[in-house]
Amino acid sequence: MPNAKMFDLARPSRQHLLGYILLAPAVLLVGFIIVYPLAIAIDLSFQQVRIPRMGTRGAFTLANYQRLFASSEFWMACWVTLKLVTVVTIGSLFVGMSTALLVNNRFRGRTLARLGMALPWAVPEVIAVVIFAWIFDSSFGLMSWLFVVTGLSDTMIPWTSSPAAAFWAVALTMVWKGFPFVSIMVLAGLQSIPADFYNAAKVDGASALQRFRWITLPLLMPVLGVTLVLVILWVFRDFSIIKVLTEGGPLKTTQTLSIMTYDQAFGLHNFGYASAVGVLTLVISVVASIFMLGRGTKAIY
Amino acid sequence: MTRTFSQSLMLYLTVILTLGLILFPIYWLFITAISTSAELSALPPSFWPSAPQWEIFSRVWEERPIPAWLLNSMIAALGSAALSMVVSVFAGYALSRYRLRGGHSLGLFILTAKMLPATLLVIPLFAVFRNLGMIGSMWTLIIAHSTLIIPFATWMLKGYFDTIPRELEQAAMVDGCSPLGAMVRVVLPIATPGLSATALYAFVLSWADYAYARTFLVNAPQNWTANLGITTMKGEYVTDWNEISAAAVFVAVPVIIIYLILERYLVGGLTAGAEK
Repeated sequence: MPNAKMFDLARPSRQHLLGYILLAPAVLLVGFIIVYPLAIAIDLSFQQVRIPRMGTRGAFTLANYQRLFASSEFWMACWVTLKLVTVVTIGSLFVGMSTALLVNNRFRGRTLARLGMALPWAVPEVIAVVIFAWIFDSSFGLMSWLFVVTGLSDTMIPWTSSPAAAFWAVALTMVWKGFPFVSIMVLAGLQSIPADFYNAAKVDGASALQRFRWITLPLLMPVLGVTLVLVILWVFRDFSIIKVLTEGGPLKTTQTLSIMTYDQAFGLHNFGYASAVGVLTLVISVVASIFMLGRGTKAIY
Repeated sequence: MTRTFSQSLMLYLTVILTLGLILFPIYWLFITAISTSAELSALPPSFWPSAPQWEIFSRVWEERPIPAWLLNSMIAALGSAALSMVVSVFAGYALSRYRLRGGHSLGLFILTAKMLPATLLVIPLFAVFRNLGMIGSMWTLIIAHSTLIIPFATWMLKGYFDTIPRELEQAAMVDGCSPLGAMVRVVLPIATPGLSATALYAFVLSWADYAYARTFLVNAPQNWTANLGITTMKGEYVTDWNEISAAAVFVAVPVIIIYLILERYLVGGLTAGAEK
């Protein structure tokens, strides 16, 4: 930082200058690698381009968006995304909360149990998919075998190639990968609740369930709200789990908006159209999280 | 808290059962790797192979370009972590210590940048990189992974710096240290645990990427990262599950080790960044 030497930065009036200088590299880099590409994407979404060439620009058109709103594929992707977000969020929240409450108990080996509970978080998504692709294998997969053995199904289920089952294979993989984050966050939230609250409630004769309902849950709400939004956004954005496990198929039953964006661009070379899908996905996720965080904060106060 | 014996027993049983279920897929990965192909295509599945074939690891390591893939992943992760850390440390410090005009909205922007779908960002980045003739180069990954890391790292580091009292720098400045000197000589050494946790988190983020690698490097097999390489081992109809599992073990182990050693710091950073 050669500039720093030129000024007496310790002078109170110069103090802020140093702040701006320190911030500058990040602002420039973020501008170049996030803001500028984002602007290009928005620009592309208003042009009819198949493969973009910098410097040349197509005419401004709303055609991509018109085509999008008229396409059943887009609405199908919206529906799949909504379904997946709902199922995975509820699943992760349930498993994450339960595991957090479980290891919040005092017992010997608790540290080790906590470490193990959150381990799937450290497994890269592609590796998680390799594991679950084998578990959901149509001929010798463990899951099909379990279904047959327990009598839930007469024949082996072709999980990833059956339109009805593929969604659940994706959802289970995502819950396994997603719940540790909830668990970690909830555990941190639980530990910030003073033990005095529980002792006072016990003195007043509150049952375990009442203590959970009237102390734990309300005090956990702020953490839970943020966690919920982050999990939802993760499902929205996710690419690798679905792409590697099912490629969005069969019959587009696992094609979320994210996968549709990618396939339109790099599978079908409709960059303009793909950008339109991507921009709408971003708009939906921003609106959804503002709405959720807004409601979340209202619920707290 | 006091518990009766049966309550304790129930608690331990629940913990063990839950842990077993959660960790089972990871166990299954190992078991699949060391099972023979014949055992893998038999029902009922065997939960412990009759003749574990440990040599699968050395065989896959030699026969498949696993070392090259791991090296590429390593280069991308170290490169993007280094690039992002340099700018994020300064930015996080500035956001924590100075009331800057636009600082608040920048913080907000950084938070929303986490919402950006990689599948949207990958389109214009592809256009830009193609125009620069960079498709297939490792630099595309180092730059693209920074889009994932900088928002996280800046926010995590701001959280860490917030926990360090300003009085420390003020004392150093009274003793004649420049503001920059106070940051480098006083604050950064104290923040070392936070810095290393953030750097490792950055490493993990880059290591886990698949979308960018697949888009920019698919036609450059010499630069394939571990994640991209592994997916090419998954065939459309036939997959050698023991081979791909053994390869997957090699890819998962580094991050699992990082996690086990630094769980406390990683978790601290994760929750510090999000509780705001």
